[in-house]
Amino acid sequence: MINFVMKNKFLVISIILLIIFTIIDINYTYRSLENTWNQILSMLIIVPPIFILIGLFDAWVPRETVINLMGKESGLKGMALAFFLGAFSAGPTIAAFPLAMIMLKKGASYSNVLFFLMVWSSLKLPIVFFQISQLGFQFAMLINSIMFVVFIIAALVAEKFYSEEELQKFEEKAHKLT
Amino acid sequence: MLVYVQLNVECDNMSIEAYIIYGLAIILSLISLYKDPKKTKQGLKKGFKAFVKLMPVLLPLFLFIGILLAVVTPDFISSLLGEESGIVGIIFGLSIGSITFMPPFVAFPLGRELLDSGGAYPQVAAFLVTVMSVGIVYFAAERKFFSTKSAVYRNLVSLIGAVIVVLVVMVVYA
Repeated sequence: MINFVMKNKFLVISIILLIIFTIIDINYTYRSLENTWNQILSMLIIVPPIFILIGLFDAWVPRETVINLMGKESGLKGMALAFFLGAFSAGPTIAAFPLAMIMLKKGASYSNVLFFLMVWSSLKLPIVFFQISQLGFQFAMLINSIMFVVFIIAALVAEKFYSEEELQKFEEKAHKLT
Repeated sequence: MLVYVQLNVECDNMSIEAYIIYGLAIILSLISLYKDPKKTKQGLKKGFKAFVKLMPVLLPLFLFIGILLAVVTPDFISSLLGEESGIVGIIFGLSIGSITFMPPFVAFPLGRELLDSGGAYPQVAAFLVTVMSVGIVYFAAERKFFSTKSAVYRNLVSLIGAVIVVLVVMVVYA
């Protein structure tokens, strides 16, 4: 029982919140479930092609290629590639995690995968264009250029915070999950 | 009315994103099928297996996101990030942005609206940067995929980035 609660914290907290909502004002419960449903729907729309791409990537791209292009020794080339993959993408950040996993599995370095994730979260081109249209060029680009620099620095120093073992574990986990 | 328009915008853009990614998946599948049917089948099987393994990690999060969005509505956010909200407003902006999840096609129009109604730039920047890059909600998934340390690192880096953005915006838009 305790084990189940610890393993499914989000589920348990959510159910408790829903019960509290139902007691206070059932409209919140309805709205929560409706939102959840919408979220799941929009996820299910975007998810099948992503997993098709992951599968094809897994089958066709040799490990040596990924190591060469995005591995530990890939340097600037690896970062640039991580940036383009993140920027020319579509979909919510949560869709990026499975892609990140397959990259790790094929031997991309943790730094590059992290950079890819950070770029995907904030600097996706479709989003940047929309952001400029809403906030104006100056404000949007001020935000984006600062984040870009912060992400580069964070990716470059990331591996210094991890031991060789911890970095190895990322890859093992990726093997298990995909 | 406004909500309706926003949702409409969101749907339109989502479908464009979806079209691109579906188009890519279909074209690559066909090429792959043409070149090597066996390998293609193997790849698609692998993709499906990854899907089955990863979905249980993600699904409970959606329930939580649904609950959050029911409480933290755009109205609620506007009420906290007004022009006179000062440093408290910035802290609210950073925390709400970090906790909640919101599609960009809702978040940016909300930012525009806040600026138009006199919301100050630093508060809006604090909210917009964190809502995109810091995700306490995603934290759970990130932990399982990578590690707790890695999830903390990425989110912390983004939060620090957000603070730097706020400081610069305060100077530029003073």
